[in-house]
Amino acid sequence: MGGKNEKSTFTRMKTELSKASAPHLTFFMPLLFIRSMEKKLVTQLKVFFLTMQDFFLFSLRAFMAFPKMIRYWRDVLDQATICGRDSIPIVLVSAISIGALLAIEVGNLLEDFGAKTMLGRSTALSVIRELGPLLMGLMLSARFGSRNGAELGAMQISEQIDALRAFGTDPIAKLVMPRLLAALIMFLPLTALSDFAGLQSAAYMAEHYHRIDPGIFWNAVYPRLAPKDFVVGFLKAPVFAMIITLVSCFNGFSARGGTAGVGRSTIKGIVVSSGLVLIANFYVSKIVLENM
Amino acid sequence: MIELRNVSLKYGEREILKNVSLTIKDNTIKAILGPSGVGKSTILKLMLGLIKPNSGQVIVDGTDITCMKERSLYSIRRKMGMVFQGNALFDSLTISQNLGFFLRENLKLPEAEISRKVAEQIQFAGLEGYEDQLPESLSGGMRRRVAIGRALIFKPHMILFDEPTAGLDPVSSKKILSLISSLRQNNNLGAVIVTHIIDDVFYVADSVAVLYQGEIIFDDVTEKLHEAEHPFIRSILSDKILEL
Repeated sequence: MGGKNEKSTFTRMKTELSKASAPHLTFFMPLLFIRSMEKKLVTQLKVFFLTMQDFFLFSLRAFMAFPKMIRYWRDVLDQATICGRDSIPIVLVSAISIGALLAIEVGNLLEDFGAKTMLGRSTALSVIRELGPLLMGLMLSARFGSRNGAELGAMQISEQIDALRAFGTDPIAKLVMPRLLAALIMFLPLTALSDFAGLQSAAYMAEHYHRIDPGIFWNAVYPRLAPKDFVVGFLKAPVFAMIITLVSCFNGFSARGGTAGVGRSTIKGIVVSSGLVLIANFYVSKIVLENM
Repeated sequence: MIELRNVSLKYGEREILKNVSLTIKDNTIKAILGPSGVGKSTILKLMLGLIKPNSGQVIVDGTDITCMKERSLYSIRRKMGMVFQGNALFDSLTISQNLGFFLRENLKLPEAEISRKVAEQIQFAGLEGYEDQLPESLSGGMRRRVAIGRALIFKPHMILFDEPTAGLDPVSSKKILSLISSLRQNNNLGAVIVTHIIDDVFYVADSVAVLYQGEIIFDDVTEKLHEAEHPFIRSILSDKILEL
């Protein structure tokens, strides 16, 4: 809105200068343009920082609602089912396909160096540290995050969230806290499942595609994995759970402007949470590997 | 009693309410009349503390709720029941779960007591046999009656109706208006009705405030509306329904 105003102000001034039939005044036009762009940037920055502030307070209220988990245990259980059990197929499909692909590609590469027996080691590191949790995060961002965004957005648009507040129920405790808690609980076993399925499919491809004996493959996996490899992988689960749940719920709560607004807030939730998951993945790996 | 004292509210650059003052006495029905998008629903949300004014005060039963924190507002909100324009029923819950939702959430009542109260509201709303249906399977009028039942189940002092007959056929509208009239007679309830349909005002309201361009241009007993000389009120009296 601010942008539109700035644009119209600039256009109006430009027209007025032209009408003034004073060609020398057109010298100021680039300056006016820069000024209007500067104002637009300031407005956008202001909106960004206000949104960040709202997001921070929203997240804080979600965590502060944790003592109410006993009251809302049914909601926590429902959300755990949606986020955990119902997400198993998509997590398995992505983990199995990436494990198999990784085994084929890395195996081909290692074959060139005559180090095919190291396939188990390299696949295990990639899956447990990076690809297992990352793929699970991205899949859940699309599945669990989009569901949160659309459901809460629709509730916001149809005034159901206002209705909760109007009758004395804290909507963050009732709607956000159970989702956050369920994600924090369920993302860990899903990560383990993703790792397990990825490694199993890699082992299968190693045996049937590269003709590597399973004993050699697993022998290269287990003795060589260090605790830090598991710490890196499993630390990502709660980080991703927080990012995906809080971003998607916040966007759902911020939905405005009818059904189109629900669509916009859902897309925004998925895009932002997926981006943040990728960034967080990098930093968690970097911090843990540098310090352990 | 609910009072709005010199309340002003802006959404961005747009001024929604300009120095609005209103008083709603207990056991009376007050209508707020005005064209769509003029800020009528905003007044109801201000009364509940769902939004805060930029200036002025909102006073409920002598308590200034303008700067109250969300947690402190819950006890104030329970004095009022709200019927939202789109009903705002929880679409994943059945009719009886919707009706009993806030009793289960906020009051530590035994389940038998909750069931009794829910059955009472089902009967009041004439929805026997629909207890286990989801809201989506009901007609617009039925959904509105569930929303009214949900607002009443708390035994509030005042009910706030946001466009209670909007989108309903004439028969359902009449039923809803009769229901609202009966509330005061049977339960000693006060009500605020936000509407753009002038016939509804004459049907149920004791007094009416007309909101035009963010300002109250008339606030008196309903009968005196005919004597008002403001051109906008003259025009709505001749057109009856405000489609501005």
